[in-house]
Amino acid sequence: MLLIITCLFPAAAGILASALPASDDRSRNRRYAAVMLLTDLLALAAMRLAAPVTVLRFTENATVYFALDGIGRLFLLAVLILYTCVVFYAFEYMKMEERPEVFFGFLFLSLGAMIGVCGSGNMLTVYCCFEFATLSSMPLVLHEMSREAVAAAMKYLYYSVAGALMGLLGVFFVYYYSVADKTFRPEGILDPVRTAGHEKLLLVMILLAIFGFGTKAGMYPMHGWLPAAHPIAPAPASSLLSGIIVKAGILAVIRMVYYTVGADFVRGTFVQYIWMSAAMLTVFMGSTMAFLEKNLKKRLAYSSVSQLSYIMTALSVLTPQGLQGGLLHVMAHFCAKGCLFLTAGVFIYKMGIRDVRQLKGIGKSMPRTTWCIMLSALSLVGIPPMGGFLSKWVIAMAAVEGGSGFWAFMPPAVLLISALLTAGYLFPLVIDGFFPGEDANPIVLQSSEPSGLMVVPMAVLCAVSLAAGLFGLQILGALGI
Amino acid sequence: MLIAAIVFGPFLMAFVSYGIGRRQENARDIFVILVTFLELLLSLLLVRGEHSLQITGILNGGLWLQNQGLHTVYSLVTSLMWAGTTLFAREYFAHEREGLNRYWFFVLVTLGATQGVMLSSDLMTAFVFFEIVSFTSFTWVIHEETAEAIKAAYTYLFIAVIGGLVLFMGLALLQHCLGTLDFEDLAAAAARAEDPVLVRTAGVCILFGFGAKAGMFPVHVWLPKAHPVAPSPGSALLSGVLTKVGVYGILMTSLQALAGDAMFGRIVLILGTITMALGALMALFSVNLKRTLACSSMSQIGFILVGIAMYVLLTAAGDAEGAGVAYSGTVLHMVNHSLIKLTLFMCAGVVVMNLGALTLDDIRGWGRNKPFLKAAFALGALGISGVPFFNGYISKTMLHEGIVAGREYCGDISGMLGVIEWIFLFSGGLTFAYMLKLFICIFIEKHPEKQAEFDKDSRCMNTASAIAVCGSSLFMVLLGQPAVMNRLAAYVTGFHEILEFRPFILINLKGGAISLLIGACVYLLFVRKVLIRRGHYVNRWFRHFDLEDSVYRPLLLKVFPFVFGNLAAIPGENKILVPDAQVVFLLAATIGRTLCVSLDALVVLLRKTLLRETRVRGHQPLKAGRLFTLRFETARAIDPIVMNFSFALLMTCLGILMVLGVIMFFILV
Repeated sequence: MLLIITCLFPAAAGILASALPASDDRSRNRRYAAVMLLTDLLALAAMRLAAPVTVLRFTENATVYFALDGIGRLFLLAVLILYTCVVFYAFEYMKMEERPEVFFGFLFLSLGAMIGVCGSGNMLTVYCCFEFATLSSMPLVLHEMSREAVAAAMKYLYYSVAGALMGLLGVFFVYYYSVADKTFRPEGILDPVRTAGHEKLLLVMILLAIFGFGTKAGMYPMHGWLPAAHPIAPAPASSLLSGIIVKAGILAVIRMVYYTVGADFVRGTFVQYIWMSAAMLTVFMGSTMAFLEKNLKKRLAYSSVSQLSYIMTALSVLTPQGLQGGLLHVMAHFCAKGCLFLTAGVFIYKMGIRDVRQLKGIGKSMPRTTWCIMLSALSLVGIPPMGGFLSKWVIAMAAVEGGSGFWAFMPPAVLLISALLTAGYLFPLVIDGFFPGEDANPIVLQSSEPSGLMVVPMAVLCAVSLAAGLFGLQILGALGI
Repeated sequence: MLIAAIVFGPFLMAFVSYGIGRRQENARDIFVILVTFLELLLSLLLVRGEHSLQITGILNGGLWLQNQGLHTVYSLVTSLMWAGTTLFAREYFAHEREGLNRYWFFVLVTLGATQGVMLSSDLMTAFVFFEIVSFTSFTWVIHEETAEAIKAAYTYLFIAVIGGLVLFMGLALLQHCLGTLDFEDLAAAAARAEDPVLVRTAGVCILFGFGAKAGMFPVHVWLPKAHPVAPSPGSALLSGVLTKVGVYGILMTSLQALAGDAMFGRIVLILGTITMALGALMALFSVNLKRTLACSSMSQIGFILVGIAMYVLLTAAGDAEGAGVAYSGTVLHMVNHSLIKLTLFMCAGVVVMNLGALTLDDIRGWGRNKPFLKAAFALGALGISGVPFFNGYISKTMLHEGIVAGREYCGDISGMLGVIEWIFLFSGGLTFAYMLKLFICIFIEKHPEKQAEFDKDSRCMNTASAIAVCGSSLFMVLLGQPAVMNRLAAYVTGFHEILEFRPFILINLKGGAISLLIGACVYLLFVRKVLIRRGHYVNRWFRHFDLEDSVYRPLLLKVFPFVFGNLAAIPGENKILVPDAQVVFLLAATIGRTLCVSLDALVVLLRKTLLRETRVRGHQPLKAGRLFTLRFETARAIDPIVMNFSFALLMTCLGILMVLGVIMFFILV
């Protein structure tokens, strides 16, 4: 029961907090803070205490069922950390946007949906919450209501819904060939007797589901929405989208492949190789596009495309170590990218600058913000002791140990080339920031550090990123993965 | 505990110093000096015993640090270098106030991280601290924030990033092949390795990765640019210790994992020889004091790499004694070079802080009446040139001995080793030549215009700096004693038979003498005739012969982005998918439309063929027949029904039922 309350509370309370009249933004912000912190408490309690619960029975086999396991806890923790940071950051940022109450309303709605995705106990529930997360986060992209924003939001909606439907088709087929109890199990729920003779069909459907849910994680060829939607949203929303909402796609794929179908069923088949190739292609493509992009938020969005596919590459190894590497990278990426989008928001908020080339000298006027970029960039490139290093090490080891020949050595090679490109598109930002030489941008130099409400969330995310690097394996162990 | 204090203490103190520096700059300077001297004291305590520190549960399997032999010696050298440069830097930075807090912060962080590398007991720990060193020392290169410094810093950073990534790959491969990265277990695991080619690949990746920091050819491009632009105390550390961080990694890997791999040895040998000769040539041509010293560092790293290669080759050939000599030579030359470069770069720092110039033409004759500086520089020059009774001589002789042993034992490449031996002696000669060039220029020749001004003041540094500069130069003499060197070698390597090594027998003196002779000839015949024109030192180095500007930068900044950018744009902008999707849409639309009109089309077709209405005979065409009228009326009546969607559905169902019925009929009957 606690789980359902945890899901519904932020959605209901958030909408109430927005809808009820308030004297000014300040008092409303206080309400939002209360809702967020209460949700945190509820969710933490749910992590320890919650018992599995069946909410709805469509048929005997199709139920909406919530249960938290290790992976659910990990994603839930990530959701909580990022949402908490972003909500506080948004108090300051949304001063410059219109209709902040609408924004916060949908933000809390999507928080509820994301908690639902994390707490889902079977694939059908994942699908329901997944769709709801898409629908509730779409208005965040839409927020500016400009022509571009509407187009981007529509693109986001269509891609995500189409992807989810592809996923659902896969789910139907897998459900048909599985045992009666559809709860996630580490070895999968397929029924060997029923499956016999239909493996080909099932594999095609699984591939469809991977690409379908992969849409949300920006995997080629369905990545098109990501670089369109993320930059156009207000910075807190892009941070959420890039940091954690896209991870819903990752979680859905993990649930589908590792917990519903079973990794053994897919290993060594054409599905694995197509999946891995698409993921590696996306890694390479995303980082190159990011390297060429000059708009900071767009660059970060492309970077997300590539980083998310690191996770996909790790998952496509289909060994426990691969899963571990993927989860570690989830941890490393959500805080690093969340933080980077928040810093991009700082530049828009303080100076209205979106172009990377105009940011020379930021280190002189806002050293703390630039330090946050630095730490996040180090994490994304994979420099010890930041989070990205550990995850990349585990992914590389998993790929080398898990595959053979081309499939063993290609992933580390692609990761390295991509890491080099990542260094190429993130480090100059910092170096030009701290050491602009002669050509510092005067507008930048006149600006000043943003308020603590913005800096502290970014610093917290950097600290999480460091913790993920130092204690990543311990955290996974403690969560029972 | 001791190790924890040595490695993590400076990290903590860095923050403290930053805090102090924001209020009291003077107090901060003194605090930093205290910290480095305390560090030196702690490092001295390491010699007394073996300590070990294992931090489990962080990163991937934890950090493991311990001290013995080489680790201890290098920890000590590191502390010594830091103490010396910090003492000196107080005066050096006296007129500079901007960015100093940052500088000292990173100096202390780098100190801790360097100690971490030097005391690491597995490659993973070494790698973690190595990356920290790479990034923190970046701030020294860019410290001056001039256009030149920024460019050099970018070069430095990108070579460091690439090196780090390749190293990462190498470590992953090694872990995969051998299942361990602990120095202790590497050798045993390497002996059992199933796939030696993969181990070698890993080794080459690691060589490349650490080599990038050491300044090995072909990833040396950053070194001659980055070292001169850093502030002098920083250059001394970059040149003296940070290059050794890379060498240390190569040494430990070759020593443990690849000692028996002759092929790997040859790769190191060739790269080392090129580095050695190229560095010496660049140093000879250079007309800038610090650049000469930087290129000299590169050349000396080449010497050290040759020593490592000889160790690997001799171990593969089974000559343990020769390998021992090569190993001792390598380690001793590392120590020597660190200390020599400490002295020389501090001397260069004295020149910079007094004159603000580094070009040989500008600083000519400046040192004529400065005896302490002259003595320190002379000792450094004698040490690095390998003059007998000074420290460089013994280590170089040992390295030479290694090559000679190689000619004897490694039969298949003895011809090549013969050539390399001559290159070795020639490079040694060039070392003497360019040091002679510097010394004569600064301390003997007269400046054509400003000599009187230069001679006015013989005081060039305060007491603290003098202690640092002259104190460090005394090591050249101390380490020049064979007894000291032999004991040091025995302590580091654990090979006690090296105690037998006698550097002053005829055959060894002959090698040194040949080198010095070559050097003297080069100086007299080449430097004085070709490199000095009408009393000016001229740069005759080929202007376009810069690997970075002519190859790496165009490749990385123009060619790769162009090629890969266009490649990535194809999927990125959906250049494949969009046309494909359009074709699919077109196809789907065609099929859909066809299906949609198919029933109507069928009707039309039928009406035109089988069910064609025939005109009733005998009637006028203008007058509608009764049948036609009836049909028309009926049609008008049922139109609302027929044109309805539900009706269509009903009909479809009827049709399906009929089809099913027919199928059932056939199946059942």
